[in-house]
Amino acid sequence: MTRLLAQPGEVIDRTMPLSFTWNGKAIDGFAGDTIASAIMAAGERIVARSMKYHRPRGLLTADYWDPNGFVQVGDDPNVRSAHRLLEAGMDVSAQNVWPSLEFDVKAANGLVGRFLTAGFYYKTFMKPARLWPAYEKVLAQFAPGGKVDLSTPPLYHDKRYAHPDVVVAGGGPAGMAAALAAAENGSRVMLVEHGHRLGGSLLWGSETDRVTATKLAQECAEAANIEILLDSTVTGRFEDNWVAIVQRSHPVAVERLIKARAKSLVVAPGLIERPYVFSGNDKPGVMLSGAARRLINMYAVRPGQRAVVFTANDEGDQTVQDLERVGIEIVRVVDARRGENIVAASGGAKSVESVELADGTSYEADLLITAVGWTAPTSLLNLAGDRPAYDSDAARFFSSQLPDSILVTGGIAGDGSLDQLVEHGRATGLLAARRGDVVARTLQSLTPRARPVDGEIVETPADDRDPLGRDPHPELHRSSTHGMVDYSEDVSSKDLFAAAQEGYDSVELIKRFTTATMGPAQGKLETVNTVAVLAEARGETIAEVGTTVWRPPYAPITLGALGGRIFEPVRVSSIQPWHEANGATPILAGQWVRPEHYGDPAAEVRNVRSNVGIIDVTALGKLDLRGPDVAKLLSLLYTNKWMKLPVGGVRYGVMCAEDGVVMDDGVTARLAENHYMMTTTSSGAAGVWEWAENWLQTEHPEWQIHITPVTTAYTSINVAGPKSRELVGRLTDIDLDPDTFGYMQVREGSVAGIDGCFMWRIGFTGELSYELHIPAGHGLWVWEQLLSEGDDLGIRPFGLEAQRIMRLEKGHFIVGQDTDGLTLMPSVGLNPLIKLDKDDFAGMAELGWALERTDLPQVVAIQTTDPSIVPEEASQIVRAGTNEILGRITSSRMSPTLNRSICLGQVAPEAAGAGSSLTVVLTTGERVQAKVMEHHAHFDPQGERLRV
Amino acid sequence: MTAARQFLSRAKFKGDPSKPARYSAAGLVSKGARSQNWPRVWREAELKKSYDVVIIGGGVHGLACAYYLATNHGITNVAVLDKAYLGSGGSGRNTAIVRSNYLTPEGVAFYDRSLSLYKTMATDLNLNVMFSERGHMTLAHTDSALRTMRWRAEVNKLQNIDSSVIDPDEVKKLAPSLDVSPDTRYPIQGALYHPPGGTVRHDAVVWGYARGADHRGVEMHQQTEVYDILCEGGEATDGKGRGGRVTGVRTSRGDISAPIVVNCTAGWATLISDMAGVKLPITTHPLQAAVTEPVKVFLPTVVVSGSLHVYVSQTDRGELVFGASVDPFATYSMKGSLEFTEELAGHVLELMPNIGRMRLLRQWAGLCDMTPDYSPVMGFTPVEGFLCAVGWGTYGFKAGPVSGEQMAEAIATQRTPKLIEPFKLERFEQGTLVGETGAAAVGH
Amino acid sequence: MMLVPCPNCGPRNSSDLRYVGESHQRPNPKEASPRQWRGYLYWRDNPAGPLKETWYCRNGCRKYFTAIRNTATNEFENHPLPGTKSGAVDPSFHYVSESTSQLERPE
Repeated sequence: MTRLLAQPGEVIDRTMPLSFTWNGKAIDGFAGDTIASAIMAAGERIVARSMKYHRPRGLLTADYWDPNGFVQVGDDPNVRSAHRLLEAGMDVSAQNVWPSLEFDVKAANGLVGRFLTAGFYYKTFMKPARLWPAYEKVLAQFAPGGKVDLSTPPLYHDKRYAHPDVVVAGGGPAGMAAALAAAENGSRVMLVEHGHRLGGSLLWGSETDRVTATKLAQECAEAANIEILLDSTVTGRFEDNWVAIVQRSHPVAVERLIKARAKSLVVAPGLIERPYVFSGNDKPGVMLSGAARRLINMYAVRPGQRAVVFTANDEGDQTVQDLERVGIEIVRVVDARRGENIVAASGGAKSVESVELADGTSYEADLLITAVGWTAPTSLLNLAGDRPAYDSDAARFFSSQLPDSILVTGGIAGDGSLDQLVEHGRATGLLAARRGDVVARTLQSLTPRARPVDGEIVETPADDRDPLGRDPHPELHRSSTHGMVDYSEDVSSKDLFAAAQEGYDSVELIKRFTTATMGPAQGKLETVNTVAVLAEARGETIAEVGTTVWRPPYAPITLGALGGRIFEPVRVSSIQPWHEANGATPILAGQWVRPEHYGDPAAEVRNVRSNVGIIDVTALGKLDLRGPDVAKLLSLLYTNKWMKLPVGGVRYGVMCAEDGVVMDDGVTARLAENHYMMTTTSSGAAGVWEWAENWLQTEHPEWQIHITPVTTAYTSINVAGPKSRELVGRLTDIDLDPDTFGYMQVREGSVAGIDGCFMWRIGFTGELSYELHIPAGHGLWVWEQLLSEGDDLGIRPFGLEAQRIMRLEKGHFIVGQDTDGLTLMPSVGLNPLIKLDKDDFAGMAELGWALERTDLPQVVAIQTTDPSIVPEEASQIVRAGTNEILGRITSSRMSPTLNRSICLGQVAPEAAGAGSSLTVVLTTGERVQAKVMEHHAHFDPQGERLRV
Repeated sequence: MTAARQFLSRAKFKGDPSKPARYSAAGLVSKGARSQNWPRVWREAELKKSYDVVIIGGGVHGLACAYYLATNHGITNVAVLDKAYLGSGGSGRNTAIVRSNYLTPEGVAFYDRSLSLYKTMATDLNLNVMFSERGHMTLAHTDSALRTMRWRAEVNKLQNIDSSVIDPDEVKKLAPSLDVSPDTRYPIQGALYHPPGGTVRHDAVVWGYARGADHRGVEMHQQTEVYDILCEGGEATDGKGRGGRVTGVRTSRGDISAPIVVNCTAGWATLISDMAGVKLPITTHPLQAAVTEPVKVFLPTVVVSGSLHVYVSQTDRGELVFGASVDPFATYSMKGSLEFTEELAGHVLELMPNIGRMRLLRQWAGLCDMTPDYSPVMGFTPVEGFLCAVGWGTYGFKAGPVSGEQMAEAIATQRTPKLIEPFKLERFEQGTLVGETGAAAVGH
Repeated sequence: MMLVPCPNCGPRNSSDLRYVGESHQRPNPKEASPRQWRGYLYWRDNPAGPLKETWYCRNGCRKYFTAIRNTATNEFENHPLPGTKSGAVDPSFHYVSESTSQLERPE
């Protein structure tokens, strides 16, 4: 098998030789070659071994769908060698072979093949059960496919959104004609071609074919509003014509996913040639007519020396001419239309040697070409809800019912001369353009703020195309012998017969049992033969058996292209640069990156308790609420009362969902008559906003309230510690006199020269503290001013960890840590905040019933008997001497203030009373004693420190 | 005596597990040598006019229920009806992961029983379901996730389930393809490791139960769609609903009378129970799954990330199998969507940044019946003779064997077995939900 | 990807919106029996056919609106204007997205 002399339609550039290696051996090909054509031009016949029996395989279809053409290229596994263009320096090797492609030890499987029928593994390896893991390891050794290289660096991928009027899937004659007609009608068109150049089957056709292809391709290239995407595939059509296109030819991205909202979709993928099932049909040298024509006409590769051609159609006849033209000896043409048939191909391991005919004659040949018909690739139609119907006269499936926005043309729609196909393509393109226009105008009319639609929206134009004919074609699926149906899965017609007789006799069951159609070609070559063999086994017709559902993607897509780049940003406060420069250890808290500590959280705690500390609490959710009805909304969202909160006052509230489960908590300040600011948990901000809007818009649209999220509009700093008043007093014009500005109050004023700051006297840490909300642009300035002004007071920043310790010392629960998805509010010890005498609030009904329940777990403070033991959070609390779970530790820390361990936990009511003795199971399994404390707060239970 | 009890008093074990062909390596050799075929995996039977029990849904749950009715209780006059082919719903669309490291003691006990049935299933059913006890890892990307993992581990340990929290280094040892560096967007902080978890060949479970049930006299009827459930005495005008009693089903192949009808469907559970006038706390959502082309095996365990909504394992054939969380809106459409596959791929690459060249081969969707507490609805309903084993969310496959076993016991004894007591329908009226949300949300 | 007809923004990708769920009337919390209230919390019609449901135009106008969608085909039948009392509060609302654990709320 060598390179032929120059062929008129060849796509290789003989002036540009490219060197690469094939299984370590240096080989030369030409620019324009596929990897496989270059390998074959170098005289190789076997390109792969089959999956199960490791049978040597040559090219079958010589295109993207070739089940035998999978190779490893460098770190890229499962490369379609008959599609991927050759590049200089490629390191190409055969997959799934050991030790080599020529001599593969696992080919021994083939010798015992009769015992390894499809699904054999279901019937053995059951006993002894303890040996199955060992069997499994052996089976896994036989996994097909290439190798993933775990040192492959993450690759650059990209995505694109497109809004074309018409997407044309397939750049053959009908597809090109459709694109041109749509473009002439003013549509913006994306023309998507699976191969490397426009033309489809014309590329390996006659001179007339090639001239037509060139002319149409030229016109498409020149049309201003046609975008041509080569080496790209429409992989899926999802709801409302959301069309996925994988672009393998992007100049920068390894592969790119294009998501196009097409107004119309023209499906023109052509037809896929179907293999014939007979004994020996997978021997190297047995190939489909399209493969032979591609190799000869496009790549100038001689596929063999002596050929038998089994033909049932014009394509087969054309192949005979091509073979003769390049001097391949035609040993025999077997014409199915005259009732002739082939029965078997036989030969050595590496090539077919002879072909046996139904009439008993036998011919020596190293090449057997079959041309027995086509499969309609109806994948995109299936995705649009079509159930293609089988036409036994034409021996293929045709679409039966499609939405108006999807049209088919070309071979998938019917048969005809080249002119007829082009004409049908043009009519289809025009209809797609006109229908797309209606879709575009309807979408525009549904958008109130879009500019009005010009003129009337006409009705969807009816289909006025002259339909393509359907040429009769003999139904040829299987000869009288058994052969491969699914090449990539090594499933034979014998396997299918056996499976059907065993009861796996519907198309889905047989597919699952034998794995036919489950391999890399996903049924494009195998589905119809599988159905045909099943029909034969059941004594039914193909139409009666029906076909299987094609699932997306139509062509495989790399995970990289599908995943693209992750656009999930993290949030930081305006002080973050300072934190980073000053050695803060970062922690990821929801979307936020925050300082966990600055080296020694215990020291940070002690400093707050004795001097003053500052913490960046910008992540706190903040909602600005304005309007005369805000108090009503607060009363509806929180369980407690809000109608009498005075201006300048701050109040704490717990928010419950309608099932009574604690959902959020926080403080809200009344800044002015009709102006409030609500704070939420960091992760709750967005959800609380949506929740509030939900009530406002759907239950109380009459209330006048405007909600604005202002979380990052303000930088928030909490100044905490006994010296905080002294520090803040040095920087603000706000009167800090505790008699007038007491605990749970808010003031507006300037801080460090910045006007418009809000200052709240609240205290999560349990110390006297001032929470400053500063216009975000000035946050870092104020932070630095606080540090320099507080130098003599012993100020130091503290992080999230110190704050967690201090809140635990104070016994404040954290929603989502000390509570969970089922924690009803009466479990958290704040029953006085549940005001059932209000008219209404979220969760009211459930909370009313919950207050009467005695079986609810309680959140309580817990201390271990041994003060040095800090039970890990989630340690379980059990009934003494048993494994019966009574609760769990939800928070635990070593308290630097008390010098002992402290905990919060959820405990069953029977064990939740103050002084109850508990058994805590540490994560090591050791059981230790603990007791329930009287107060939630381990430290300063009366709250004297924060009220000074 | 209720109609259900009357039939139970009549039911006798027929004692004739007609000698089926046993599957074995020796059998393969001998059949292969003589080019013989195996007998049908289950037989076809004429649809009768009446059965003692009609089970709607020929998936793992329905077939397991039939199998255990026959095996454990000698009740064999049973028909399993499926509107398509056996295993055509969730049983054939799931990602085949099994585990028992749930969060609540109820959940742990229930799923642990299921796992133990899976463990011995190949020998019990004489069909290799390829239970691969390869270990199961649930990754934690935040402090709080790690806390939940530890919670699960501690609850599990108290119930003697092998389950523990491991650190990133141990994660890396178990699955070298994972990126455990701290510089990623969602750094891996640790994982809940559950060695007994793994995968099972889902279709084989369907076939195995069908074959086992068939050998004991149960009939499987494919392509038999239930159009209506026939009731009498209920509060609704047509005799359906609370206080009523089941008399049979109307199917695409005619009416069948039966005193007991069991809803073992997934995806269509609401529509079936509506036929009996029983309302369910269920919304139906599609779940997307996908598989890649095969490559040489490199991922030895099941890896799950709740925060990234993804779970992944590699089959013995070398394909990576992925699942996502359910799509956010309710629908009965199984057309599949692109956006969730995109998210899936993106998050898989977050976990394993070096496998970007692998190609996605096929995606599909299945329907999941979601309940408010991520726990199923099992057992008796306000309509006498109408039972449900529904609401399986995304974890129905894991529960199939125990669901079948316990439902069979409920039918045979007419009492709710202790193991499924927490999952009764009344809990939604009583406000006593099961706290399984933490473990089950994307917890594959 | 399904297009959802927001009455303000026009048809938009479903990923731009949050699905709230079936629309239903909220009972009076002072009068409802436990059974009625839990019906509101948990019971769903979940039909395979037209369903009145609520959407939130999260990435657009941020309005809640109701629409009727056929859950078997995902086709929308109408899209009434918002601002009327629609009984569209989501009783099962927990602000951590449904697909993450309610027990894994990050802080």
